[in-house]
Formats: sequence, structure tokens, C-alpha cells
Amino acid sequence: MRMVQKPSSVVLASLKPSTYTNRTPRAGTLPAHRLAGVSKPDAPYSSRRAPRCGLVGRTFSPFTIVLLVILGGVVATAAQEDERATVEPTLARRAATLILARCAVCHTTDLIVQQRLPEDRWTATVEKMVHWGADLTKDEAAVLLQYLTARYHPGAPDHLPSIENELAMTEPLRGQTTATDGPLTGLAARGAGLYAHNCQACHGEGAVGGVGPKLARNTILKNDGVFWETVLHGRGPMPAWGSVLSHQDIADIHAWLATR
Amino acid sequence: MTVSRRVLLRTLLQGIGAGLVLGRSLQTVQGGRGDEAGQASGPLTVRVTRPFDAETPVREFASWLTPNERFFVRSHFGPPNADAVQPDVWRLTVKGLVKDGLSLNLKELRQFEEVTLTAVLQCSGNGRAHHRPKVPGVQWERGAVGNAQWTGVRLRDLLQRAGVKLQGLHVQFQGADRPALATVPLFTRSIPLAKALHPDTLLAYEMNGRPLPLLHGAPLRVITPGWMAESCMKWLAEITVRADETPGYYMQQAYRIPETSIHPSSGLPGTAMVPVERMLVKSLIAAPAEGDTVRKGPVTIQGVAWAGEAPVAKVEVSCDDGYTWEQARVIGEEQPYAWRQWRYIWNARTTGPTAILCRAMDARGERQPETSPWNPGGFLWNGWDRLSVTVAA
Repeated sequence: MRMVQKPSSVVLASLKPSTYTNRTPRAGTLPAHRLAGVSKPDAPYSSRRAPRCGLVGRTFSPFTIVLLVILGGVVATAAQEDERATVEPTLARRAATLILARCAVCHTTDLIVQQRLPEDRWTATVEKMVHWGADLTKDEAAVLLQYLTARYHPGAPDHLPSIENELAMTEPLRGQTTATDGPLTGLAARGAGLYAHNCQACHGEGAVGGVGPKLARNTILKNDGVFWETVLHGRGPMPAWGSVLSHQDIADIHAWLATR
Repeated sequence: MTVSRRVLLRTLLQGIGAGLVLGRSLQTVQGGRGDEAGQASGPLTVRVTRPFDAETPVREFASWLTPNERFFVRSHFGPPNADAVQPDVWRLTVKGLVKDGLSLNLKELRQFEEVTLTAVLQCSGNGRAHHRPKVPGVQWERGAVGNAQWTGVRLRDLLQRAGVKLQGLHVQFQGADRPALATVPLFTRSIPLAKALHPDTLLAYEMNGRPLPLLHGAPLRVITPGWMAESCMKWLAEITVRADETPGYYMQQAYRIPETSIHPSSGLPGTAMVPVERMLVKSLIAAPAEGDTVRKGPVTIQGVAWAGEAPVAKVEVSCDDGYTWEQARVIGEEQPYAWRQWRYIWNARTTGPTAILCRAMDARGERQPETSPWNPGGFLWNGWDRLSVTVAA
């Protein structure tokens, strides 16, 4: 089921390092007088503020930072225009799918979408997650890193769509929901491996339950409609698996669960 | 996206609520109101749906005590299964470098002298979103903080009963929460013995006069008044007295700050990293709200200020984006570790947009800085609070 694609074959044509090393100033965090470079009359607290804002004794003063931020903002804004174009759709789809299947085991995708990090911090983050057990091959981790760096860099807009929406936007239209092309015969033996790889983290070894409900002898196994709806589209904290697992995969997992 | 997030959250909260029906003494205040929690107008602003991380909208800080259902929520793995912390199952173990280990249920724990105090609890990452360059982590803005009344017993009393051996210098806490994957490090923390033996360091089972809600650590959590909240272990299950600081990720790598301030571009700090401990002086504006339009004439500006282990000495407000500052009136009684409310009546004369700022100073003479020193974890933001308003005729 895994798509085989070398990350090197993915072209991020217009993604230049400058697009993610620059920063956009945000209203509310940098006072306007600082952005404008206006100096203020001495306030009672200036003794504390002075070394922070002064140009003496610093190689990189806040004023310089502000200037860089303003200049950076201009560059970043231009780059944001073709933001979406910088992430090739196949890569985006594959990365978003990996996020749902591998990252959302431990945390929802909203945690990812709110980050704005340069490449080195994303690299460290992905490495940390793999070290902690995120089930990603080297190639998959590389795809994920490319996507995260291209989409959630420091110059990216404050608000970006959810991963689930990203996926919906890049996903080709498919045959509908629970409908399948004729009855599928699930193979329990194949389902065991698929379960261990995709479901076990939450539903436990042997489907006895964990952070997710116990599935062994769960009545949902007898209700095809609810089972397929849940697996394909998610339920509560459970992510949608429709873009990760094929219908055959799901039927196999169902067959294996029925033996528990 | 909003709709699906809301539905997701509702289901999650209902799940938690349903789990709690089992444990009668455990109550969640989220249960019936989960459908609102995903909206900015609801009781909490959700940052992460699972594990549930949500902050309090600052308008709630117009009240001295932050209600349980509006109190910020932060954990690394979410609450443990409700049945793991049910009163008839749950036990607290005290072990390690002690003469006599203890194993207590809630009833036995309550035999120690009961203490109540009011204290500010604040996530170390509160304000992380304001750090530049941006740092990874939950992008908390202003509301990962709250002021509540905590009732429980002194950690000191338990440690005295167990008898700390001479080599015991640190007290480690382990909660009952567990990560989804066994390969993820547990959230284990320790505090130095001196803080553990402080008479105000509590093991709390009540919050604002109600049983501690599951999301806030039921049945028992640590309260280290004046220190940041990562020391305030939720779902407390094990206390271990040890000779050294707890090893592991959450004590040795996370929740540490450079000993001396560092430059953002210097990469990983060359300076020594020390654990985040005490709170810094900080103040917030609760009203008006960001983007509000106020009428010309007297405008009441109010908020809160706190400084952890020190009293708040003064709060100043600027209504002209920092050019001039006036002293606000600090109101209410001073109580150690609690925040103070403050008020300032601004006579708005000039129409048009302006910025309102506030900053506080504590009794140690420490001042809230315009911006906090950058650090790789994005901790301890206490820069001046600032919001934009428009004065209309």
C-alpha cells in the first residue's frame, strides 16, 4: 500500500532558504514605536529596558532585528503568494497522510499546524519524534520534513488550514465513502500486521484497548456501517484512515478483529 | 475545519465526561459544555485537541479566582483512564531514600492536617507565541495561567512521616498519565528537598472548594506555590526521594532555561541550562479586550498581576503605547502566591487607535521587561502586556 517515491524526486522549485529564515512582524508583539524606530521618552523602567534596546555591547541589537524583520517581511510576503505552489501536490498528499497516520497517534494535527519553524528546528523535531517511536522510515521522515519546512516556516501566514483540510484539498475525488466495488473478502492473516502497524498504538496489543476503546468483541464489528464510517472518517480523537488504508486493508483489519 | 474540530472536541470531552460517571467523586466541569470549548467565545481557547491543551480567555481574569471550568489545561499525555484514578483503586506511594515507605489511599491521606491556600498556576510556556524567533511547542498566548484556591495536605508532613534519609536531596513526582506509545518518555519531575519541605508545598485534592477535576489532576496533584506549573504534577501516584535530580527528558532537557541570557542566532546554548523554577513578575490586561472600541471619557482598565513568591509592589499602565505611564490601583487583599487585581481609570480624550500596555514590579524590585529574553524552549515570557483599542467620539 505504501507509495514508493524518493524524496529527491520531489521538486520544491520556488522554495528558497530565505523564505523560511525571514520573519514577519506580528501586530501586538512588537510595539509600533519599535517598528517605526521611534525612541520614547525615558520611562521609570528604562534602566531595565536600556541594555536590551541599546546598541552598545551587542553584536545584534533589537533595532537591527526590527529592521531585518521588516525587510524580511517584505520578502516573505512575496514568497507567501505562491506558498501552495511550493509544495508539490503529490508530496503534500503523502506528507499529510503520514501526519495523520504516524503523528496523530500521539497528538492531533493542530499542534503541528501552529508551529512556524526553520528547517533545523523541524529536523530536530522530526528526529525527536522518530526517536520516541514515530513509525516513519527514513524516506518517510524526509518527505515529512520537506513538507513541514515548506509549509510551516517562520514567514508563513499566521493561520493555515488544518492538515485534514490540506488533505481534502489535494485529494483526488474518489468513489464514495462506505461504498466498495462489490463485497471485499478480508484476510485476517494480513489484517494482523496492518493492525499492529496502524491501530495497536491506541487500541492495544490484541485489540484489548488502550487510549482508544477495546475492539476485541466490540459490537462495532457487527455494525458494518458504523465500523466503516469510523475507520474512513474518524471519530472523536481518532483520525480518519480513509486516505491511509485501502478498502482491502480495512476489510483485512476487520477480518482479523473478528477473530479476537 | 472549525466544525470538525468542534465535533472532535465535543466527542473527546463527552468521552472524558462519560468516563467520569464511573468515579463519582471525580467531576469534570467540561462535560456538558464541551460543544462550546472549541470556540473562542467558549470557556477555553483550545490549542491542542489531544492531548487537550487549552487556555483561558483573558477576559475571565476580571474575576480574582479562575473557575475550574475556565482554568487552563495542559498535560503531555492527557488524563489517565478514569478507573485508574478512582478513589478505591488509587494509592499514593512514598519511596526511595526514606526510612519507612508509605502507601496511602485518599482517606488515609486526609488524616494529615488540611491546608488551604490560593496560588497562581502558570504554564512555563505561557506566552511562548510572543517569542521571536519562534520556538517549537504549544503556541500559548496570554491565558495559560489562573488563580485558584487549593486544599490538601503538606508534602512535608508525608515526608516527615516517611523519614527522609540524609542522602535524600530531591523529591521526584510521577503521575498516573501514560503516553500512547511506550517508547515516549514518561513525564517525571523532581523538585529540590528545600521546596518539598516548604510548609506551603501541598498535595491538593480540592480546587476552588470542589473535588479536583480529572483534567486538573484528580485525585491528587502537587502544588508548588510561586513555582511554574510543570512542578505541579497531576494524577500524582508516586513520590520518590532521591539523591540527585530526576534523570530523563522532562527534567534534563525540557523545562530548562539558559543560566545567562543567550542570543537567538547562537544555536544551541553554550551556557549552562538550569531547570525552570520560580515565577517571574507579570501582569495582564483583562479588560478592555484586544480590538475593542471604547467611548471617549472615563474607561476602566483592569487586570491582574503576580510575582510568585514575592508580593506585587506596583502596576503601571500606559494608554499611549508606552510614552507615558501611570500607576494603577492594586485592589483586594494581599495573599502570598495569589495574584492581585488592579484597576486604572483612563480618561480617554483623543479619538483614534491607541495601544494600552501594563507592567508590574515586585517587592524584590524585579520589573516586568518590555520583552523577555529569548530561550530555546520559549519559557517564562513576561513581557509587557499590550492590546490595541480604538477611542470613538
